[in-house]
Amino acid sequence: MIELEHVTKTYRTRKGPHTVLDDISVHLPAGRNVGILGVNGAGKSTLLRLLSGVEKPDSGVIRNNVRLSWPLGFRGGFQGKLSGRENAKFVARIYGAEVQPFIEFVEQFSELGKFFDQPIYTYSSGMRARFAFAVSLAADFDCYLVDEATAVGDQRFKDRYRQAFEERKQRADILMVSHNPETIRRDCDMGAVLHQGKITLYDDVEEAIDAYMEINRSAKQAARLRQTKGESQDLKADS
Amino acid sequence: MATAVSNALAIQGRVIQALMLRETKTRYGLLKLGYVWALIEPALQVGVFVAIFTLAGRESASGMPLVLFLITGITPFLAFRKSLQQVTAAVKANRQLLTFPQVTLFDLVFARLWLEAVTMVVVFILLVFFSQYLGEQVNIENLLGVCIAFLLMQLTAAGLGMLFCSLTPFLPSIHKLVNPFLGRPLFFTSGLFFTAEMLPPAVRDLLLYNPLLHLIEYLRSSFFYEFHSVYYDLGYAGAWALATFTLGIAAMTVNRDRLLNR
Repeated sequence: MIELEHVTKTYRTRKGPHTVLDDISVHLPAGRNVGILGVNGAGKSTLLRLLSGVEKPDSGVIRNNVRLSWPLGFRGGFQGKLSGRENAKFVARIYGAEVQPFIEFVEQFSELGKFFDQPIYTYSSGMRARFAFAVSLAADFDCYLVDEATAVGDQRFKDRYRQAFEERKQRADILMVSHNPETIRRDCDMGAVLHQGKITLYDDVEEAIDAYMEINRSAKQAARLRQTKGESQDLKADS
Repeated sequence: MATAVSNALAIQGRVIQALMLRETKTRYGLLKLGYVWALIEPALQVGVFVAIFTLAGRESASGMPLVLFLITGITPFLAFRKSLQQVTAAVKANRQLLTFPQVTLFDLVFARLWLEAVTMVVVFILLVFFSQYLGEQVNIENLLGVCIAFLLMQLTAAGLGMLFCSLTPFLPSIHKLVNPFLGRPLFFTSGLFFTAEMLPPAVRDLLLYNPLLHLIEYLRSSFFYEFHSVYYDLGYAGAWALATFTLGIAAMTVNRDRLLNR
């Protein structure tokens, strides 16, 4: 169970404060896979960062009684100078996991071969992504936070990742943010829409997708309106 | 409740331990011998100063044997300076680790502080043993006093370091300014190479505003049977340590979000 109560998050910008999340209250029940839809810049990643505890809200409370992952496949937490093995060890230690099986899983799943003992900065971006996913999957979480769920690597890795992901879904919940209704439809059974700082939860994922499509349609229309207006003004200026 | 607290403590202990292991690895290289270098480097630094002063013909200071006089001044000061630098840069160097929800700002600070303090205590012990091996008479009068002085210096370093660290969002290069603007002046005014007694009264009154001078005087008074300074005020230095440490913690807490987002 994850609960947000009157959560507000504002960032300072050069042109004054920008409120990303505006007094959000929502209850995400355990046992459901929730997909949060939002256009680019709607605050999806901010929401994930708040949930995983990387950032604190300006006001309001976030409560959860489950072990939440960090955003899946996130690559920020690794030290380039250390090898994959050492980075994996560090994660195992801070999560209190048994180091040996953890390392073995990461080594096997990432398929880095002898690069596993090379510094991470020598990895190609594909290798780095494989490593990051392997580490996220090695830790045992009650709920996985997933940002965009973009599978990485070649087709074979994608398949293996998909398989491991399905396996985790059997025992753990998923909380996914995406701007793509298809990914949400595939992995989630409950939906929410994040729009202009507010979140609306729908018990049925299809309802959430409909609401999201509606927002996109009206946004497109507004853009078209602005464009035609602009054009007519241009015409006036020309004549 | 009790289990929740002990649980949280267990996590924090685990995190700090993991951070220390990791710092050791990144800083001292991937060789198994890396940590030995961490001991040799400061030991050499002290050794160079001892050599210079011995060759310059100084015999002893206020009745203390010269080598031990220098060791008891330079080593705790280097420990202070290193901790100050490390804590000031703690968040800048490791911000990416804060993505793991278990890792807090204070874990980054205390992992570094511990690593520096433990290393320098070991260096101090090694140097004292080494000088004994070379023929110095080592009789410590009050070991507890030595420990208290060392501890208060580390607390002050941590406090100042956290204060500076919390300024990182406003002044990103602050960790480069700490040594030239604070470390170096303190190096010459904290009594590493002199005792308060040897100073002209006017200078002494001025330098006694520096809490480190008090602590080094106190440390030497505790270490040597031959030396008892009348100039140190442990309450004054203790107040400095407590005040900077509290302010440092407060500044980090207030600036938490800025430190995380930068």
